[in-house]
Amino acid sequence: MSLNAYLTLAALVFAIGLFGVLTRRNAIGILLGIELMLNAVNINLVAFARFHGDLRGLVFTLFTIAITVAEVAVGLAIVIVIFRVRRTVEADRLDLLRG
Amino acid sequence: MPTAVPHGVGLDPAATNMALLVVLLPFVAFVLLAVVVPLRRRGQAAGAVSIAAIAVAFLAALFSWFVWKGDAHVQTWAWIPADEGPTATVGVLLDPLSNAMLVLVTLVSLLVQIYSLAYLRDERAPSLGRYYTYQSLFAFSMLGLVLSPSFIQMFVFWELVGLCSYLLIGYWYERPSAARAAVKAFWITKLGDLGFVIGIVMLWAATGTFEFHALFALAQEHALAIEGLGTIMLLIYLGAVGKSAQFPLHVWLPDAMEGPAPVSALIHAATMVTAGVFMVTRAQPLFVLVPDVLVLIGWVGAFTALLAATLACVESDIKRVLAYSTVSQLGYMMAAVGAGAPDAGFLHLLTHGLFKALLFLGAGAVIHAVGTNDIFRMGGLFRAMPQTGVVFIVGTLALAGLPPLAGFFSKEAVLAGVWDSGMTWPFLMLALTVLLTAFYMFRVVFLTFFGRVPATGHPHEPSWTMRGPLWVLAALTVLVGIRLAAGSVGGRHGPGWLAPLSVAAALGGIALAWAAYQRGAVDPGRLAATFPLSVIDVLARRRYGLDGLYAGLYRGFILGLSRLIGWIDRYLVDGVLNFVSASTLRGGDLLRRIQSGHAQDYVYGVAFGVLLLLVWSQWWAR
Amino acid sequence: MTLEMVGFWMVAAVLVASSLAVVLTPNLFHAVLYLAAALVATGLVFLLLDSPFLFAVQLLLYAVGVMTVVVFAIMLTERLVGERIVQTSRSLLNGAVVAGAVFVGVVGFLIRAPRSVLRPTLDADAIPAIGRALVGPFAVTLELLGLLLVVALLGALYFARTDE
Repeated sequence: MSLNAYLTLAALVFAIGLFGVLTRRNAIGILLGIELMLNAVNINLVAFARFHGDLRGLVFTLFTIAITVAEVAVGLAIVIVIFRVRRTVEADRLDLLRG
Repeated sequence: MPTAVPHGVGLDPAATNMALLVVLLPFVAFVLLAVVVPLRRRGQAAGAVSIAAIAVAFLAALFSWFVWKGDAHVQTWAWIPADEGPTATVGVLLDPLSNAMLVLVTLVSLLVQIYSLAYLRDERAPSLGRYYTYQSLFAFSMLGLVLSPSFIQMFVFWELVGLCSYLLIGYWYERPSAARAAVKAFWITKLGDLGFVIGIVMLWAATGTFEFHALFALAQEHALAIEGLGTIMLLIYLGAVGKSAQFPLHVWLPDAMEGPAPVSALIHAATMVTAGVFMVTRAQPLFVLVPDVLVLIGWVGAFTALLAATLACVESDIKRVLAYSTVSQLGYMMAAVGAGAPDAGFLHLLTHGLFKALLFLGAGAVIHAVGTNDIFRMGGLFRAMPQTGVVFIVGTLALAGLPPLAGFFSKEAVLAGVWDSGMTWPFLMLALTVLLTAFYMFRVVFLTFFGRVPATGHPHEPSWTMRGPLWVLAALTVLVGIRLAAGSVGGRHGPGWLAPLSVAAALGGIALAWAAYQRGAVDPGRLAATFPLSVIDVLARRRYGLDGLYAGLYRGFILGLSRLIGWIDRYLVDGVLNFVSASTLRGGDLLRRIQSGHAQDYVYGVAFGVLLLLVWSQWWAR
Repeated sequence: MTLEMVGFWMVAAVLVASSLAVVLTPNLFHAVLYLAAALVATGLVFLLLDSPFLFAVQLLLYAVGVMTVVVFAIMLTERLVGERIVQTSRSLLNGAVVAGAVFVGVVGFLIRAPRSVLRPTLDADAIPAIGRALVGPFAVTLELLGLLLVVALLGALYFARTDE
C-alpha cells in the first residue's frame, strides 16, 4: 500500500476523533475523542518513518504514547475533581471561563 | 569637584566661602521656615529667624567688601556632566560688581525685613510667617543671581526672583487686584525671559560655554565673531527689558505696587528690578562687541526715563508715582550702560537702591498712618510725622539730584557718560527728565507733607521698628553722597556746564512744583491744558494706551488662542480619546461574548484555524 | 492483491468502524471498549508498517494501561454520581461538517502531494537502533519525559485525592 493510503486512513481517524471532541457532552467522552486523534497522529508518524526510512518517527511515536498516557492520567484526575465539585461532567455546564 | 579656574581670576577659598555663606544663610532660613510648619505659623518668630539669617549675611557681605573689595575670585562645580567637561557649572563669582551688590542686597533686605515687622503687625501670624518665608527665598535668589559665574545659573536665579516677585506682589492674594497684578508681572517679565533664555542657549550653541569668564576671554581674543551675535545679545537684552521694566515692557511695575510697601522697596526698587541692569553690566564685554545693540539700549533707556517721568507727573497714587520714578531711574541706568558707561550706571543703581528704598519705606509709613494711597487725600503730614517727613525729603532731594546727596553724583555720572558717548538726543531726553523728576517728586512732597488739605484720621509717627530703617537709609544716602563728593568714584564729570545745568533743571522742577501745588500761583489744571502739554497730559493719563494695548492683545490674542486650543482639546483631542476608549470598551464587550467558557467552542475555533491553514497552504502558499 | 493490502483493508475497516463506535455509542462503558478495539487496530497498523516493537508498546501501554485508568475513572464517577452515566451528543451536524471539512482539507492536501513514495526495503531490525537512539541523541528528551510522567502522576494524585 502507498504512503497516501496510510495517511488517508490517519486523516479519517483524526476527523472522527475531532467529531467526537466536538459533539460529546461528557468530559470523559471528549477525552476518548482526543485519544483517537492522537492515535491518528501516531499512525502518521510511523507511516512517514517507514516510508522515508527514518528512525526518528518511531522514537517520536514512543514519546507521544508516553505523553498521551500522562495526559490521560491528569485529564481524568481533573474530571474527577470537577465531578466532585460541580456534580457533573457535562461540558455544557462547565463555563467558569465565560467572559 | 571644583572645575578649572579661568585665566586672570583669583581663587581664594576664604573669599568664595564667605560669598557662599552670604548666599546660603537666607537659604537655610527659607528651608527652616518652609519645612518647620509650627515655626512658620508663629509669625514673629519666623520673622526673627529670617532677620537673624539676613543680618549675619549682611555682616559677612560687609566683611567680604572690606577684605576683597578689589579682587575677583571664582569657584565653580560641575553641574550638568557631559563628555569633554561639564556642560554647565554652578558656583560663586566674587568681584567688585557682585561684592557691591551683595552689600546692597543684604542691607536693604535686612532693613526691609525689620521694617516689615512693624508694617505688617496686624497680619495674622501664619500669614506673616509666609511673608518671611518668601522674603528669605527672595534674599537667597537675589544673592545667588548676583554671584552667578555663568549665564545659566543667573537664569535659574533670575526665574527664582521672578517667582518671589510674583508671590510677594500677590501676598494679599485675596484681593483680586493683587492677584491680577501678580499674574501680570509674572507674564510680562516672562515675555522678556523668553528672549533671555533663547539668547543664552544660542550663545551656548555658538561658543559651547555659559561661563562669563570663558566668554569674556573669547571676546578679548576677538574669537567671538559669531554670525548673529547681534541677535543673540538683543535677545539677552530682552530679558533685562522685562526684568528692569524698560519700554515697552514697563507696564507691570506700577501694578506690582499692589504688594506691601516693604516688598516694593526691596524688590521693585532696590534689588530685583535692577537685575536687568546688573546683567547687562555683567555682560558688558559681550555687549561692546555689538555697538548697534548698545545704541538701542541707550535710546530705549533714555526714552523709558522720559516716558515714565511724564507718567509719574499725572499719577495720584503715591506708590505708583514712586514706581514710575523707578522705571524712569532704571532708564537712566540702562542709558548709561548703553552709552558705554556701565560704571556710572552701576553707581546709579547702588545709590538709587538706597534712596528709592528709603522713599518706598517712607511712603509705606505715610500709607500706614493715613490709610490711603491717594496723595490728594493727604496733606499737612509734616506736622504730624516730622521724622518721616525729613527722611522722605532727604530721599526726594537725592532722587531729584541735588548735591551733596548720593543721587546727584551718580546721576551726573550717567549724564556725563551719555554726553561723552555723543548720543545727543538721549542726553536731551535725560536732561529733561531731571526737571520732570524734581517736579513730580516735589509734587508728592508738597501734596503729602505740606498741602492745604489736612489729612483724614489721626496720623502719627510710626514706631521705632519702622523709623530705624528709615534713618539708616537716610544717613547712608547723605554719607555716600559726601563720600562721592570727596573722591571721584566713577571718574566722570563731563563738561563743566553739566553740573550747573542739572542742578538748575532740578531746582526749576522744584520751583514749578512749589508754584503749582504749594503756592497755588499756577493752576496745575490750566497748565496741563495749554497746547503742547495738554497732548502729553491726555496721553499720559491713559498711560499712552500701552496697558490697554496689552490688555487688548491679551484678551484678543492669547485668550482667543487659549479658547481655540481649549476647544480643540475638549472636542478634538478628548473626542478622539473618548472615541478610542469607548470603542475599546464596546469592542471588548462584543468580543467577550465569544468567550463562552465551553471548551468545545474553543475546539471549533482550533478546527477553523486548521482549515484556514490547510486552505492557505494549498492555494496561496505555492 | 498482496497480503499487505488485504491486511490493510481489514485493519482499516476495523479501525474506522471502532472509531465511529467510540464517538457515537451512547453507553460510555461501551465507548471505552470500542476505544480499546481501535487502539489494538492502530497497533496492527504499526505491525503492517513493520514496527512490531511499537505494536507491543501500543498494546501494553495504551490498550491495557490507558484502558484500565479510564475504566477506573468511569467506575469512580459513577459511584460518585450514584447513577449510570449515559453519554449523549449534541450538535451532530455542526461537528460532522467541521470534522468532514478538516478531512477533506487533509485529503485534498494528500492528493496534491507527490504520488509515489516508494517503500524502501527493510535493511535491519529497527529495535536496537531505537534503543541506541533513545540513550544517544534523545537521552535528554527521554529523561525529561520521565520527569513529565512523574509530575503528571503527582498531579493526578493531588487532583484526585479526597480532601480530608
